[in-house]
Amino acid sequence: MKRYLTLTRAGVLEALQFRLSMLIMVAGNLLYLIVVYFLWKSIYASAGTEIVNGMTFTDTLIYLVLATALFNFMEMYTVWEIGRNIQTGKIVLDLLKPMDYRRYLFWSFSGSFVTQFFFTFLPTFIVVCAVTKGAIPMGINMLYFAVSVVMAVMINYSVDFIVGTICLYTESIWGVNIMKQVVVLLLSGATVPIAFFPEPLKTVVYYLPFQSIYNAPLTLLLNSGQVLETLGIQLFWCAFMTIISRLFWRVSLRQITVNGG
Amino acid sequence: MSKIIEIQNVSKEFKVLNRREGLKGSIMDLFSRNYKIVRAVDNISMDINQGEIVGYLGPNGAGKSTTIKMMTGVLEPTSGGILVNGNEPYRNRTKNAQEIGVVFGQRSQLWWSLPLIESFKLLKDIYRVGDAEYNGMMEMYRELVDIEGLLHKPVRQMSLGQRTLSDILAAFLHDPKIVFLDEPTIGLDVSMKAKIRELIHALNKEKNTTVILTTHDMGDVDALCRRIVIIDKGKMLYDNDIEHLKSFFGSYRTLKIRVDGENSIENVRAELPDFMVSEQDEWVSVLVDEEKTTVMDVLNRLIKTLDVRDMRLEEISTEDVIKKIYEEGAA
Amino acid sequence: MKKIGFYLRIYRKILAQDLKSKMSYRADFIISTIGMIFTNIAGFVSFWILFKNFPSIDGWGYYEILFLYGFSLISLTPVQCLFDNNWSLRNYVYSGDFIKYCFRPINLFFYYQSEVFDVKGLGQLAFGVGTLVYSWIKLGLGFSPLMLLKVIVFLVTASLVMIALQNAAAATCFWIVNSFYILDLTLKFKDYAKYPVTIFSPLFRFIFTFLMPIAFIAYYPSLVILRPDAVPLLSWLSPVFGLAFFYLSYKLWMFGAMKYSGTGS
Repeated sequence: MKRYLTLTRAGVLEALQFRLSMLIMVAGNLLYLIVVYFLWKSIYASAGTEIVNGMTFTDTLIYLVLATALFNFMEMYTVWEIGRNIQTGKIVLDLLKPMDYRRYLFWSFSGSFVTQFFFTFLPTFIVVCAVTKGAIPMGINMLYFAVSVVMAVMINYSVDFIVGTICLYTESIWGVNIMKQVVVLLLSGATVPIAFFPEPLKTVVYYLPFQSIYNAPLTLLLNSGQVLETLGIQLFWCAFMTIISRLFWRVSLRQITVNGG
Repeated sequence: MSKIIEIQNVSKEFKVLNRREGLKGSIMDLFSRNYKIVRAVDNISMDINQGEIVGYLGPNGAGKSTTIKMMTGVLEPTSGGILVNGNEPYRNRTKNAQEIGVVFGQRSQLWWSLPLIESFKLLKDIYRVGDAEYNGMMEMYRELVDIEGLLHKPVRQMSLGQRTLSDILAAFLHDPKIVFLDEPTIGLDVSMKAKIRELIHALNKEKNTTVILTTHDMGDVDALCRRIVIIDKGKMLYDNDIEHLKSFFGSYRTLKIRVDGENSIENVRAELPDFMVSEQDEWVSVLVDEEKTTVMDVLNRLIKTLDVRDMRLEEISTEDVIKKIYEEGAA
Repeated sequence: MKKIGFYLRIYRKILAQDLKSKMSYRADFIISTIGMIFTNIAGFVSFWILFKNFPSIDGWGYYEILFLYGFSLISLTPVQCLFDNNWSLRNYVYSGDFIKYCFRPINLFFYYQSEVFDVKGLGQLAFGVGTLVYSWIKLGLGFSPLMLLKVIVFLVTASLVMIALQNAAAATCFWIVNSFYILDLTLKFKDYAKYPVTIFSPLFRFIFTFLMPIAFIAYYPSLVILRPDAVPLLSWLSPVFGLAFFYLSYKLWMFGAMKYSGTGS
């Protein structure tokens, strides 16, 4: 465990070197939240009703703002890292390290998880709490939320890792990454809450792993989901995606070693 | 001979951040910072004539690249004056660029995924080289190196040696008055090094181009440069002919021995703690100042404890002279 | 004039070569194009879902916002196609490789940007034109050559604003080591260019008009066509603003590049 935490510490140190970019990250994030606030405020004002599809303006605001904050916190640009390592051949060096590559990569990004958590997620969360004046229930749901986020991080990492592995075959990082990002953001409910999706689409999305990344933790936080069912589905996807990403990596790796990279 | 580069009392200062250590230090750095001023180049003056090949030497971080950047117009000197071909390079960067060529050993300036010939054609347009001049240049290149195999190869598929060769040819394409070569032979094998040196030598002779060469490889210096300039910690240590430099060290000779057994260099060092000892291809070299001790003395001391199989006596090498200067300059 | 001809000729040649080399990475080219199409489809899907639930935004109907959407997609095309190398700038600066652009006897900004032409931006152009024409017909705006001229002029100036934003964001890497977030942020904000700036409070309306001028990417220029009876002065001035923002961003970029001294020795 200690050697993994060393990687976390190094990541935190590296992120702290860039003072100005930290400031900009915090400020930019807040500015972005303001845009989302005004946009949805005027959308709801035009709707004429308080509640649309079971969600009030405050619900939608909390949902979208925290989805963005979760996105910033979870997006580790893993696909880019793997892709670039493949292109430059650095991957060979990483494979020589006495750690499982999948795990090594995760822990070397974990430092940026920590800094992102403190510099974007937490400030955002506090601002949202203050703005919505206690609309976020503070109870056992926070615990469910925390558990759910941990699983979401793992599912998201597995998805990223699978997509990164695809780069071994495609030599295209940008294209593969943008497809992933677009699909995940749309189908996980990060751009428009899943509650707003029209009926057949909603059911389809519910059976895909992506909604477990953003929709699941946020519905638990807002006390609007079946706790056990949601966590159960997440747990299933967590295990399933981890296994798939490991298997896919192993098979693909054989490909490299056979072809000599 | 006409002066092509005039450098007068040039200095360049940088502001550098002092970082604190550890996690706590990093967090403190977020809130308060302290800077220090570093003099990368400190009061340097020199003149360079048209057609010279000058070796510009110094240990890592001595200020070589900073000087080159000032001569190419990328950096503005903090004080002092530079004239390159009659221009102040920083004020007239693009005008200056027309008259110079630059090669970095490890950074290709060619279009990465294009075949070499296409890069040449683009450079021809960018530097507005006439058809006749361009064809003449290509003709010359064909005589100097085996270029046909390279012309249709994308740069990204070339070996490092081929890429360096291509970069050098590209830098000379618009017949510049001055070419700056920054470690052109770094990372190359022996035969490729020789090829690159021959090429530089031939191009210099053919076009009377001034060449400023920075390198850590004394082989480059021996093969190409008559004059060398040495700087360290931003200060000029030496500027004159190599031969003149060697005559300073006239009393020095290099004793080369071959010793049987393991760790020969360590054993020699243990026996001669006050001498400069180095090793190359099984030969251990000892620098001897004959004003202090004779070569025979040294040899006698070595024979007592070591099994010396073979010996050679040489005049001081450029490598040793430079090392000596770095060491004394630092002291 | 002679100088412009010289630059155009060089650009044409570099462009032709760049396209040739892109073709040699065929798989990448195809996947990136599909990725671009994906992005646009996803944008439309979320737009469609939004309007399934809400019939209008701040008095703007579905087809009107669709018009803004199409307008913004077209005006974002030049920055995507011609200035994509801005995304690599911070890597070149960080590794010190940026120095290699500094030794050529032509304009540094031009030389740097000319290196990459992003073909897949043209897919976005197709989406944008399709959307604009579709909403134009649905809105029954009618057609005259003067309107076409207006649209073209205002599209050009709107695209200058986006180029300016990206230039300025990319140029921050000359001062800030890790400037990725700034570029990423401008990319995110451009998605909001398709909504009318009137949804914001006066303070933020000011910010998005003069400081981070995303309102000029679609809203102000579109008013000339969409609300011809009540065109605010700012709409007519948007060409001036486009040019001014572009010029300022160019100056900032060049200033940063000149001040740049390379990392290490």
